[in-house]
Amino acid sequence: MKPKFTPYYETLVRNYEAANPGVKVEWVDFPWDIIQTKLVTRIVAGTPPALVNLNVPWADEFARDGLLAPVDKLLGEARPRYLASTLQDLTFNGKTYGFPMYSNVAVIAYNTQIFKAAGIPHAPRELDEQLLFARQIAARTGKAGLCPALSKIDGLMMQQGLAVIANGKAVFNSPGHVALIRKLAETYKAGGLLKDALFAEDNFPAAIDAYKGGRLGMLLAPPTAVKRIESDAKDIYAITDVAPAPLGPTGIADGGWLIHYAVPKNVDAKLLPAIGKFARYLTNDANQLAFAKQASVYPAMAQAANDPFFTTVPSNAGAAEKAVAAGAVSMPHSHTLYVAGITDYDELRRYLVKAVEAGVTGKQDIQQALDQAVAIWNKKLAAQGIR
Amino acid sequence: MRKLTAWLFLAPALILLAIFSFWPVAFGSLLAFTDYSLIRETHWVGLDNFRYIFDNEMFVTGLKNSLLFLLMVPFVQIGALSLAVLVNNQLPGIRYFRAAFYVPVVTTVSVVGIMWGFMFHEQGALNYVLRACHLVGAPVGWLSNDTLALFAIMFVTLWRGLGWYMVMYLAALQAVPADMQEAAILDGANRWQRFWKITVPMLRPTIMICSVLSVLAALKAYQEVDVLTQGGPMNSTFTGLYYAYDQGLKHLKLPRALAASFIVSLFCIGIALVCLRYLKPKHR
Repeated sequence: MKPKFTPYYETLVRNYEAANPGVKVEWVDFPWDIIQTKLVTRIVAGTPPALVNLNVPWADEFARDGLLAPVDKLLGEARPRYLASTLQDLTFNGKTYGFPMYSNVAVIAYNTQIFKAAGIPHAPRELDEQLLFARQIAARTGKAGLCPALSKIDGLMMQQGLAVIANGKAVFNSPGHVALIRKLAETYKAGGLLKDALFAEDNFPAAIDAYKGGRLGMLLAPPTAVKRIESDAKDIYAITDVAPAPLGPTGIADGGWLIHYAVPKNVDAKLLPAIGKFARYLTNDANQLAFAKQASVYPAMAQAANDPFFTTVPSNAGAAEKAVAAGAVSMPHSHTLYVAGITDYDELRRYLVKAVEAGVTGKQDIQQALDQAVAIWNKKLAAQGIR
Repeated sequence: MRKLTAWLFLAPALILLAIFSFWPVAFGSLLAFTDYSLIRETHWVGLDNFRYIFDNEMFVTGLKNSLLFLLMVPFVQIGALSLAVLVNNQLPGIRYFRAAFYVPVVTTVSVVGIMWGFMFHEQGALNYVLRACHLVGAPVGWLSNDTLALFAIMFVTLWRGLGWYMVMYLAALQAVPADMQEAAILDGANRWQRFWKITVPMLRPTIMICSVLSVLAALKAYQEVDVLTQGGPMNSTFTGLYYAYDQGLKHLKLPRALAASFIVSLFCIGIALVCLRYLKPKHR
């Protein structure tokens, strides 16, 4: 957060301390890559922070390890004011483990010139159309149409209504899953998918570079990406238009990644009411809105998310402003797509991604590749006692 | 008394080594046999972590790839020695050549990653040149093809290491006594004979140490993997140590990471001992 958000947090803390005499708040900022280690060390040392900024997969893992305290009682009457989807993301085994702060959601930025050259009249409205347009772009312009984050294929499956796990067993080798991968493989073969880092853990840098270089027809990314295009590639920005990302048959929007405040285990029980009060203050409508405006993200509070800043599009709006509004339409449908409750989930996902990579690139029969990955998952899930 | 003085002189270095090298290695090796976690009580689990990693395709692939990296060792050593012989000549501007070959050694791995990322990209410089010369029809996926990616990374590792070993050979070459060469010239030995009969035997201790270091570096390869492929495509570029890094620092599974490091260390020790046994100079 430092240094960009230092004034924001210092003002928040100052105002809170002024309104609550006797309360002293210390804001400490660590880079993401060391937060987990720092947090575990502090909890073990018996000096946990009162609140900690986490994402959903970490919250799930920490909650399973008994390192977080449920906050249902602390949410109190503020609960209905949060977007229901954000509270659902933080509910594991019937308990809520955080105060939702902000999330993001993807929009489709598309190059109108490439669309015109490919004879595409409008933005895609569903995944099938996205893939069809990508193939059309490749066939008529020789450029890639789309760059999905296939390292998060589990999220895409869930968004498309295809379960990854059911009754404690991996089930991603069903005909539906095979059909989805086959569509991706056909698009890949036709040159419709951008090959750069297609299966890398984070292919966003490759995707945005390709879009800024005019090599990609559609970019599925949060509205902040459109701002980056505006500042880095003015010529491409001038021919960019945006549309909300397709919701998929589940009604879930792509690109959700919720950030929240969690309460670590072993904080002084006497402090819990004060901690709850401060967490509600940090995540109230006004403060979330102020933060979201600065950070170009979406608030997790319903009223803040409906602020005219997000919903009103000025008549002379450029793609960046349109993107903010398009994202706001999808935000209530945004979920962090993640399979909770599994130990070593990242490792298991690697087997899935490897199978999908083999299938999409044509190195192995899709059904066979998925069957092999399912067998590995089920062996490892059984070893975890998940049945 | 002389022994005590010697130990006193060694003591500061030994204390530092004990604290920062011997103890962490010993403690880490011990923890590989436990379920160590910051948040739970630690228990002795015997070989469980080893069973887990050997049951894991990524580690097994990683170990195989670490051994494949050994293929690079002769190329590095022959390349470095050839370069050292070349730049050992007193030619105009030779210092610039020496510096140029050494630049990759002092370049940070992140810069190397970005640079070679551009070079190996399907739309990158390498494919551009190959296509312009009509050597390939379609762009080659140097880092996206699961058969080629590991070799591309090995090439980058070789490129980074060459200058380092070149400098070591250069220093050794310059220490070869000139009178031996002169005597050989008087005896009528040609360049080739002088190289094989005088230079190479004199360089044998350097060849041994460079080979051992190069074997260890090959088995410990992971930085280039991290910056270029992160183990992909299709987990084909995992190395033993990259798996340890991935488990320990990315996923905080320390016992598994330590078990993987333990296995890699065993390989390092074993292969280094073999090198020492067969490359050790027979006569001083």
